[in-house]
Amino acid sequence: MNILKQELKMGRKSLMVWGVSLVGTLGLFMAMYLVIRDQVADFQKVFEAFPPEFRKALGITTTNLGEVLGYFSFAFLYVLLAGSVQAMNLGVSVLSAEVRDKTGDFLYVKPVKRSKVITMKMLAVFIQIIIMNVVMIASSYIIIKLVSDQSFVFKNFLAMAGTLFMLQTFFAFLGLAVSVFLRRIRTVLPISMGVVFMFYIIYLLNQTLDDAKLAWLSPFGYFDLSYVSEHFAYQGKFVVAWFVLNAVFIFFTYKIFSKKDLPSI
Amino acid sequence: MKIIEINQLTKYYGKHRGIEGVSFSVEEGEIFGFIGPNGAGKSTTIRTLLSLIYPTSGSATIFGKDCIQFGDEIRKDIGYLPSEVFYYENMKVIDVLKYSASFYENVDMSRIEKLSKAMDLDLNKKIEDLSYGNKKKVGIVQGLLHEPKLIILDEPTSGLDPLMQQKFFDLILEENKKGATILFSSHILSEVQKLCTRVAIIKEGKIVKVENINEMRNNTYKRIIIESASEGISAKFNFEGITNLTSTEDGIQFLYKGNINEIIKVLYTLELKNIIIEEPTLEEIFMHYYLKEA
Repeated sequence: MNILKQELKMGRKSLMVWGVSLVGTLGLFMAMYLVIRDQVADFQKVFEAFPPEFRKALGITTTNLGEVLGYFSFAFLYVLLAGSVQAMNLGVSVLSAEVRDKTGDFLYVKPVKRSKVITMKMLAVFIQIIIMNVVMIASSYIIIKLVSDQSFVFKNFLAMAGTLFMLQTFFAFLGLAVSVFLRRIRTVLPISMGVVFMFYIIYLLNQTLDDAKLAWLSPFGYFDLSYVSEHFAYQGKFVVAWFVLNAVFIFFTYKIFSKKDLPSI
Repeated sequence: MKIIEINQLTKYYGKHRGIEGVSFSVEEGEIFGFIGPNGAGKSTTIRTLLSLIYPTSGSATIFGKDCIQFGDEIRKDIGYLPSEVFYYENMKVIDVLKYSASFYENVDMSRIEKLSKAMDLDLNKKIEDLSYGNKKKVGIVQGLLHEPKLIILDEPTSGLDPLMQQKFFDLILEENKKGATILFSSHILSEVQKLCTRVAIIKEGKIVKVENINEMRNNTYKRIIIESASEGISAKFNFEGITNLTSTEDGIQFLYKGNINEIIKVLYTLELKNIIIEEPTLEEIFMHYYLKEA
């Protein structure tokens, strides 16, 4: 438990910064709804003039911007992107930090099994993601209520906001698996930004190509906001894929890191 | 009882040699020196004992248990001080030490106080504000605070001033008196000479020799320096037992192993200005091992 406590303590500041920035971003986007609300018809026309591929990429294909949840799904896309980067950062750095900051010689000579260190660190990442999501769901709800008095089904709202949790866990575990493969990671952000945007571009590409096979390649496609805002549910096959991939990432993290040589200083 | 037993331990980093077929053992209660130049494989051996890295082949036991399989159990009773110390920069010294203590059962927390006082360490500073030497002190305190039965020191004195080195040696000797076994790795022979009873010499990944420190000196050489105005003296010292003979400005010097009377007989015939007969330093003995093997 001491490792978990230590990890949470060390991540506290960064978690707060990310939380405040994401709530702020969402708040700004949703504030624009106040302007759009009264001129929905005009905006809708502008958007309809865009090529359909472009509209898809922006996540506004089927959505009705006049409805507050429709607009929310458009704004939330940016939270998803940033949140994915945050989660991948967490995943990549949680194990590699001990190597980068050369504190491995402190932690790994303590009387704990490697596997227990991995478990505790993974748990710390997971708890931080849960905190992040509770904060985001609560503040999204409050923000929506602030900008609109339209009524909406809470379950539908939850399905949309829940995509953040699904994507964050995916990227966190992917980050962990990536970090145990690399020998020494000097900077984390380029890796997580690169990977997240690569997946996002694959997703954008597939919005236009609409290739069923390509859809399996990007987690952004698994929890596509335009699909969710239409059906208020996730596609079963993709939820299964999400589970399987997460399990694979976790398996490799344990398997490789348990026997990994820690580079000497 | 053997505290550490290393058996044909080999470690390759890819194609690079770490260590090859290293074998030696350390008895309970002993201060065992482990010497060799940088890159010889001292740290590799130690890091394998601590299962920070995994051996390519061979094995090692500590307290009679396999050091990989029972790593976590064994490490309860090991204190380790690496050559370079790094801690969580944002934490205060006291928090690092408490975090360290939280990994062990029944730690006497008053030891933090006692050890830091002995090492003159400020507990309320942040790690990032500490000098290199002070970080090293944190390392010493966290390595000793759980009263380990085996203390592993990997070039521990770098960064400590001579006064602190002495205090540190006193602490180590005190722990040793209480029964702790010590593995002391260093490339500075004088400190090994000061503390250790036996040493293993490692060179290019292989153990060259394991020897008792006293025997190592007794069975070996005397350094003899002769200053004399006599001509052609070096020719007179051309007999068995003399090595490394060199001419200097005022005379000659050499290493001698054998009956000292043979030397006196020759000296008697010379007009001397000065003569110095001294114990060779461990460095010289050490170099001797190295040259012989090369």
